[in-house]
Amino acid sequence: MLDGTEDEEKFLAAGIAGLQQNSFYMHRALDSNNLRDALKYSAQMLSELRTSKLSPHKYYELYMRAFDQLRKLEMFFEEETRRGCSIIDLYELVQHAGNILPRLYLLCTVGSVYIKSKEAPAKDVLKDLVEMCRGIQHPVRGLFLRSYLSQVSRDKLPDIGSEYEGDADTVSDAVEFVLQNFTEMNKLWVRMQHQGPAREKEKREKERSELRDLVGKNLHVLSQIEGVDLDMYKDIVLPRVLEQVVNCKDELAQFYLMDCIIQVFPDEYHLQTLDVLLGACPQLQPSVDIKTVLSQLMERLSHYAASSAEVLPEFLQVEAFAKLSNAIGRVIEAQPDMPTLGVVTLYSSLLTFTLHVHPDRLDYADQVLGACVRKLSGKGKIEDSKATKQVVALLSAPLEKYNDIMTALKLSNYPRVLEYLDVPTIRVMATVIIQSIMKNGTRISTSDKVEALFELIKGLIKDSDGTSNDKLDEDDFKEEQNSVARLIQMFYNDDPEEMLKIIETVRKHILAGGPKRLPFTVPPLVFCSLKLVRQLQGQEENPFGDDASTTPKKIFQLLNQIIETLSGIPVPELALQLYLQCAEAANDCELEPVAYEFFTQAYILYEEEISDSRAQITCIHLIIGTLQRMHVFGVENRDTLTHKATGYSAKLLKKPDQCRAVYACSHLFWVEDHDNMKDGERVLLCLKRALRIANAAQQMANAARGSTGSVMLFIEILNKYLYFFEKGNPQITVASIQSLIELIMNEMQSDSTTSDPAAEAFLASTMRYVQFQKQKGGAVGEKYEPIKYEPIKA
Amino acid sequence: MPSRRRTLLKVIILGDSGVGKTSLMNQYVNKKFSNQYKATIGADFLTKEVQFEDRLFTLQIWDTAGQERFQSLGVAFYRGADCCVLVYDVNSMKSFENLNNWRDEFLIQASPSDPENFPFVVIGNKIDIDGGNSRVVSEKKARAWCASKGNIPYFETSAKEGVNVEEAFQCIAKDALKSGEEEELYLPDTIDVGNSSQQRSTGCEC
Repeated sequence: MLDGTEDEEKFLAAGIAGLQQNSFYMHRALDSNNLRDALKYSAQMLSELRTSKLSPHKYYELYMRAFDQLRKLEMFFEEETRRGCSIIDLYELVQHAGNILPRLYLLCTVGSVYIKSKEAPAKDVLKDLVEMCRGIQHPVRGLFLRSYLSQVSRDKLPDIGSEYEGDADTVSDAVEFVLQNFTEMNKLWVRMQHQGPAREKEKREKERSELRDLVGKNLHVLSQIEGVDLDMYKDIVLPRVLEQVVNCKDELAQFYLMDCIIQVFPDEYHLQTLDVLLGACPQLQPSVDIKTVLSQLMERLSHYAASSAEVLPEFLQVEAFAKLSNAIGRVIEAQPDMPTLGVVTLYSSLLTFTLHVHPDRLDYADQVLGACVRKLSGKGKIEDSKATKQVVALLSAPLEKYNDIMTALKLSNYPRVLEYLDVPTIRVMATVIIQSIMKNGTRISTSDKVEALFELIKGLIKDSDGTSNDKLDEDDFKEEQNSVARLIQMFYNDDPEEMLKIIETVRKHILAGGPKRLPFTVPPLVFCSLKLVRQLQGQEENPFGDDASTTPKKIFQLLNQIIETLSGIPVPELALQLYLQCAEAANDCELEPVAYEFFTQAYILYEEEISDSRAQITCIHLIIGTLQRMHVFGVENRDTLTHKATGYSAKLLKKPDQCRAVYACSHLFWVEDHDNMKDGERVLLCLKRALRIANAAQQMANAARGSTGSVMLFIEILNKYLYFFEKGNPQITVASIQSLIELIMNEMQSDSTTSDPAAEAFLASTMRYVQFQKQKGGAVGEKYEPIKYEPIKA
Repeated sequence: MPSRRRTLLKVIILGDSGVGKTSLMNQYVNKKFSNQYKATIGADFLTKEVQFEDRLFTLQIWDTAGQERFQSLGVAFYRGADCCVLVYDVNSMKSFENLNNWRDEFLIQASPSDPENFPFVVIGNKIDIDGGNSRVVSEKKARAWCASKGNIPYFETSAKEGVNVEEAFQCIAKDALKSGEEEELYLPDTIDVGNSSQQRSTGCEC
């Protein structure tokens, strides 16, 4: 047994075969100018269209083949009339065809020639044809026949400016003809659903859906009639079409035809007839997807508004916003069961509309959001994912339109809509907001705005009540918090008072973020504050000593508190780094006690919290580097801090690390441009200590592995010697350098040393540097001249 | 004897929604233009008589819906086309990029006997907009694409101002004629001498 589609293919093939055979004979008749046979075979050919066994798609294929053949027959009829055959006779003659369907196709074909001949007014022929087509009441056959009539008459309508334009009121005739054909077709189409057994309902719906364009095409034809101006559209076309749409009471037809009306007629017409068009909406069947219809209308009008500023007055003149807003309200009112998705889609379209049409009326936008909130209230969080998406679209629209978060912040209902989203979506929305700010480089310049903004993005700032972030992907979380960090950098105001307020506001919010967020959010806040310090640094202290004024000291106190919040987490390395940054800033502000305090904090952290040896290495180098740049300390404070730092260095776990940290400490005693901080002796002490440690490291390596390790450390120390030698440290003599070089050479040549190409290369380039300095001549050359070096012969 | 079937040339216009297919046809056939956007539903044709080398031809120009939802019955009307016109809007990159899809879709659905040499013509429309300042598809890019698809003739037009429309359709008509896309020759299996009536009518007598 064949299944349905194979059956259909068989029927189609049979239909095509019959059609081809008869058209073959028809052509022979045409070639020999045999009118009688031409009519006979064309009628037989057209009989194939009487089938009921094909789906609309397949029937269309068959129809198109017949259609092509009929074009040739039409040409033949034209030739016949040129040869003297009366068109009126022809019009009579074709009516002798036995079956009604072929008869009507032939009649339409001759009718087309008849109109062209102008022997009768176009409107009379058309009227006759459209009436005669009532003879076919089978939906599919009738729809195709009428579609044929519509197509052959397409260029013969008595439109204005057309050659078929008659004496008076002719456009009306053209419109009347198309409307009548449309009405009849819609009836056939709607009636189709009631024919056949109930179990085939689904199949019928599908077939009806396929056939819809045959009906809709009439509206396209109407829209192409030039004589249909706004008045005629308003007075005749739209009311008549809507009447048909409303009265057919069919869901499929109503939805489709409303869509067609919106798409085929021009925007200007829609604007001028909004009342009528919108008035039809509540009259449609309750099952019609009215939200999509209205959304499409608003989308179209939004595009129109966006196309040119010149059209905007049209919108204002007809109060389009108020009308659409009311219509939406009525539709939502009338359908209390409308799902949230529908509600939000409607408001989203309306918002887009008002943003395009009334970019200056923020109150309209806020009004739309407010109406949306009212509908959402009492329903709890939105759970439907499509509806959620739609809300995101709704909330993104103002950001896209204004490219400026400041505008969105003015919309009082904006955060209220946000509340109906679920937690993950609130976070997505917050990210969208931050991205918009970053993309447009928007400066957030007052604490009030910061406050409002944090309200919008609170999903990222703190855990929402009762939910945890456990489920959140670690990478996503980092990404989000990094974006918050970037955002904090966008807060800026020239006025220190306001900037301090901003900092206080940010602090208040981020403190609520909990231990997972603080490591991301504290650093940008610290740097924001330091930026303010730098700004104030150049200015004179307030001469009146007003306590309320913003001073670096005050900010440093705040900074101390901010960094302290990290203590409970714990992220001691981060806190240490931030303390050091602050110390350096305090140094530049000449605030010795403050700087000392920050260093103290850093040292405490180092001693009490940082136990990992790798972290210790990183931190000790940061401490040394920062301390080296400090010039604010008096001798006593400085001694305390440097002493501690060298002490820490010597206590690192691994010898090589100790060695490196200790020789780095040598720089603490020799600061260029500060003559009071040049202590050659202590530099030498550090270097000698480093050498001792390097020696010890070698011996340990020897003892543990049986071979000495690399001489790398010695070469590094040699470089330090050379540095201080060049800088004029009197304690570093040629002799000490010379002996160090010899030590290195001996080590490298010793049997137990494994060869180390990196060390060899390092030494070679160090010595090349010495050579280079010698060649410079002058004072430098003289200084270096005594250093001797004989490379090892390979 | 001039064959009747050769005097009718069928042309299909394809392209994205809103690129100006209907406007091009209206400008060419009726010398009219409207700035208003009106969607096309289904397929619709206009005819125009053209003279070529002392012979008259009827050009049957099929305008189509660019929006898929208005093409519910499928594309059976592609069948027997002599030339296919692909239209894009020079101010819309997407409409240009979609030419590929339209071309492929046409070749699949119309399945011409020699797809390699089936005549296409590409039209870049709306060159008038904003004095050409909002243009995003360069002529060079468009020509390169046409060259890569077997040297498709290329025209830049303004349906609004009637620029190059006539020239484009001249080329279309010429190519359609040249293509000589012969309809499959049909010969009946048996030649009935008697009066063979088709007795496969089904139920309803209409």
